[in-house]
Amino acid sequence: MARSQKKGPFVEEKLFKKVMNLKSSGSTVPIKTWARRCTIVPEFVGHKFDVHNGRQFYQVYVSEDMVGHKLGEFSPTRTFRGHGKGKK
Amino acid sequence: MPRIAGVDIPPNKRIEYSLRYIHGVGPKIALDILNEVQIEVGTPAKDLTDEQVTHIAAVIDRSLQVEGQLRRAVQQNIARLRDIKCYRGSRHRAHLPVRGQRTRTNARTRKGPKKTVAGKKSVKELR
Repeated sequence: MARSQKKGPFVEEKLFKKVMNLKSSGSTVPIKTWARRCTIVPEFVGHKFDVHNGRQFYQVYVSEDMVGHKLGEFSPTRTFRGHGKGKK
Repeated sequence: MPRIAGVDIPPNKRIEYSLRYIHGVGPKIALDILNEVQIEVGTPAKDLTDEQVTHIAAVIDRSLQVEGQLRRAVQQNIARLRDIKCYRGSRHRAHLPVRGQRTRTNARTRKGPKKTVAGKKSVKELR
């Protein structure tokens, strides 16, 4: 079920603050984060995030099209190595 | 023979059903349209006057995305998901179910006809 409109999008406060700080200082170092559940808001556009996928940090460059999705959608948690080859 | 929104011509059915032959018009929208142009539900499509047909066409033109336009919009939405490399996009790329359905069995609509693999456990054995 979709989230209630009344609440507005879920944005991790800490992460949001970090982004704003980085923006005002003008640097573009990627932010390491575990906040996969955080919605991407317009303020994040043009920024880099290292989103944890349970094993490593997966670098995500946020573009305009990604607004409204969650950070976790861009950091795949499963490795698919293909089916049935290398069988002797 | 009425012709609305391009190529659609279903004459012998009641108008609320024949409108549904237009891609993008379903049961509800068909009734909404009839309501707006004041045509009685149940009129056979062939009995419509030219005036009524143009009126329906105008309403569709003004308020709805149908046929090619709609198909293109849907394709664009999918292309956007693919481009931004999100989870749903990668599922589309892999021709797998997008909305979290199981893929151990079923999912044949997305995966296509069965490809039998030797030595793979059948559904019966899974239980």
